[in-house]
Amino acid sequence: MGNSISRVMVKMFGYREMKILMLGLDNAGKTTILYKLKLNKIKTSAPTVGFNVETVSFRNVKFNMWDVGGQDRLRPLWRHYFPATTALIFVIDSQDMKRLNEAKEELYSIIGDKEMEEVVLLVLANKQDLKGSMNPQEISDYLELKSHLDSQLWCVIGSNALTGQGLVEGLSWITNNTKTKDKK
Amino acid sequence: MSQGIYLSDVPVRRPALAGNSLARKMQRACRLSLPEPDLALNLDVADFINAKQGAAPREAAIGIVRLINSRDTHTAVFALALLDVLVKNCGYPFHLQISRKEFLNELVKKFPERPPLRFTKVQRLILTAIEEWYQTICKHTNYKEDMGYIRDMHRLLKYKGYIFPKIKEEDLAVLRPGDHLKTPSEIQKEQEIAQAAKLEELIRRGRPEDLKEANKLMKVMAGFKEDNAIKSKQLINDELVKLKRKADLFKDMLSASETPDFSNETLVELYSALKVSQPKFQKIIEEEHEDDVLVQDLLQFNDTVNQLVQKYNLLKTGEAGQAAQIQVSSISSPPAGSGGALANEINLIDFGDDEEQASSPQGQDSGNPVEDLLGDLNNLSFSQPSQGFGLGGSISLGASQPTAQVSSGSEFDLLGNLSNTPSPAATAQPPKNTQFSGDDFTEAFGSIEPENSVAHNRVEVSSSTSLKIEFDLSRKSESSINITSFFSNVGPSPISELTFMVAVPKSMTLNLKPQSGNFIPGYGADGVTQSGTIENAFSNNGKPLKVKWKASYVVNATPVEETAIFTFPQI
Repeated sequence: MGNSISRVMVKMFGYREMKILMLGLDNAGKTTILYKLKLNKIKTSAPTVGFNVETVSFRNVKFNMWDVGGQDRLRPLWRHYFPATTALIFVIDSQDMKRLNEAKEELYSIIGDKEMEEVVLLVLANKQDLKGSMNPQEISDYLELKSHLDSQLWCVIGSNALTGQGLVEGLSWITNNTKTKDKK
Repeated sequence: MSQGIYLSDVPVRRPALAGNSLARKMQRACRLSLPEPDLALNLDVADFINAKQGAAPREAAIGIVRLINSRDTHTAVFALALLDVLVKNCGYPFHLQISRKEFLNELVKKFPERPPLRFTKVQRLILTAIEEWYQTICKHTNYKEDMGYIRDMHRLLKYKGYIFPKIKEEDLAVLRPGDHLKTPSEIQKEQEIAQAAKLEELIRRGRPEDLKEANKLMKVMAGFKEDNAIKSKQLINDELVKLKRKADLFKDMLSASETPDFSNETLVELYSALKVSQPKFQKIIEEEHEDDVLVQDLLQFNDTVNQLVQKYNLLKTGEAGQAAQIQVSSISSPPAGSGGALANEINLIDFGDDEEQASSPQGQDSGNPVEDLLGDLNNLSFSQPSQGFGLGGSISLGASQPTAQVSSGSEFDLLGNLSNTPSPAATAQPPKNTQFSGDDFTEAFGSIEPENSVAHNRVEVSSSTSLKIEFDLSRKSESSINITSFFSNVGPSPISELTFMVAVPKSMTLNLKPQSGNFIPGYGADGVTQSGTIENAFSNNGKPLKVKWKASYVVNATPVEETAIFTFPQI
């Protein structure tokens, strides 16, 4: 939906706005990531029942970041947040190996949705600071994105929400990989 | 053209025209080459939206309003017809879209600031539509608070001097919610669709207050709040109370006179309302079986409805005498204090005549168990009555044990019928058709057929003025019985369109072969035969086997229905 004003803004300043949806199993660290990006603070939060939205400006991009709760009961409601999403950040708890398969299944059911065909996918392998956590490469191998996704852009980045490691890299990857799409 | 009418000055966003199948379907429904609005095509669009949900209602609303504003009157008229169909068929998700400020502003885009002397056809249709919505979905739906902008637009147009056309009562009736009893799962599904639509709309709007509401709604949807469950219970209760009032009224109308006026619309309406709701009882009982109070209440109410239906049918066929015997048990509070909120509630509108009825002799209630199965037959189901619904029926047949689900009150009631010795009322009846108390029959046949061990018994099941039914029974094995029915015409006029149905207790299985025909000439003996077997009918069961039958046929161009319970002799 090219609004003419925003198109001019894009041309003149490279200014853009995009909707980012952040999903993942419960206790993966989505809300912590959101508030680390927004406030640069660690906000201890109770499990999200419902969702949080914040706008985060980064370079010339305004991100509308939607963080939707990840408990089982909330997962069927994720699909209502799909429309008009530019990028999906899927957060994984790298230490929680028992539920890695569950996470994988959820991820594939999200990106299998018709409304999510065009999004770019960023997987954050979160909690890299914890002992015994899997590294991004292992997570990436486990998810088998390479063999399953051919049309979608994707990337797995290790992160630590407490220090902010990997978060900025993730956003800049999204920025770099959505620009080209906007032009056409 | 002037664009004087605006609720606010928010610019209306123009969505990109997507070449998707919805847009294509809509274009097809509104294309110029059609001579008049095509209902099939319009309904096709409605079905598509209902199946797709998500963004479909929104896209449709946006697409339609663009077509309405197209330069061509023909297309606009068609688009308005389509809009009408969608509003009536797509429910809340679409209502939510037409109540958006942007949509309404766009809809009246071509209206001048001051009303013209003469409205164009399109303008008149738009005014009709808004008036219709104002009268219906803004007032009657469960979500009327979401339709605020329609009301605002209505007021604004009125203020500007526009006159709304009068709407015919029939047109309004379509959009009014029907008084249907719904099962919990149906209510839940409706709620889910409506809430999903609302959530997506709130997310789309994205204003802080919308997001706050979305968050709340999400909690409800995810089941963190009990709202949904409570609401659906409430809805069922409300509908039940309404139905009970109807049953009450129906009862009063039936007992008011021996020959009620069957062309009376109210009477017929009440009858069909009760009749239609019966299958729903079964579903609700299945879904809510852990709620004992509700189940008992429903079972009891179902019995009452059955009696009422039978009474109605008897009166209709002019058998006032038999109808008078059906003492409809009290609709409201069950005798043994197993009441529950519902019963108490209904008491308020009851005029206290139930006490007298509760104490009325149970023996006269012979119609009660019969009717239970009748209901099954009327629904044309040959299947075994399922656990909850047919409870009364199976008890009346004496084949299965009364289950714990039956309330103390109704148990007494039903067993009373079973164990009762032949009621004087029933024996007094000439053996024409319908209703014999079971034991009566055994006795009767005991005397006719003294030798129970005879392999072949041809027994008369029923004989009316025109149709005589006989069964030829023989035991094939320890567990199965061969049954052949013979139908004879004992009257001068031919019988046509004869159908015969039999229901057996649910522990048994009945296999019927097709009838040899459905026409018997006048005085034709054994004109039609039908054979079958009953499986699982053990000879040492102790209790006599009872089956319920129903025969319907046409004689002298009048349809006749006969039904009764038949008790098998010992074989």
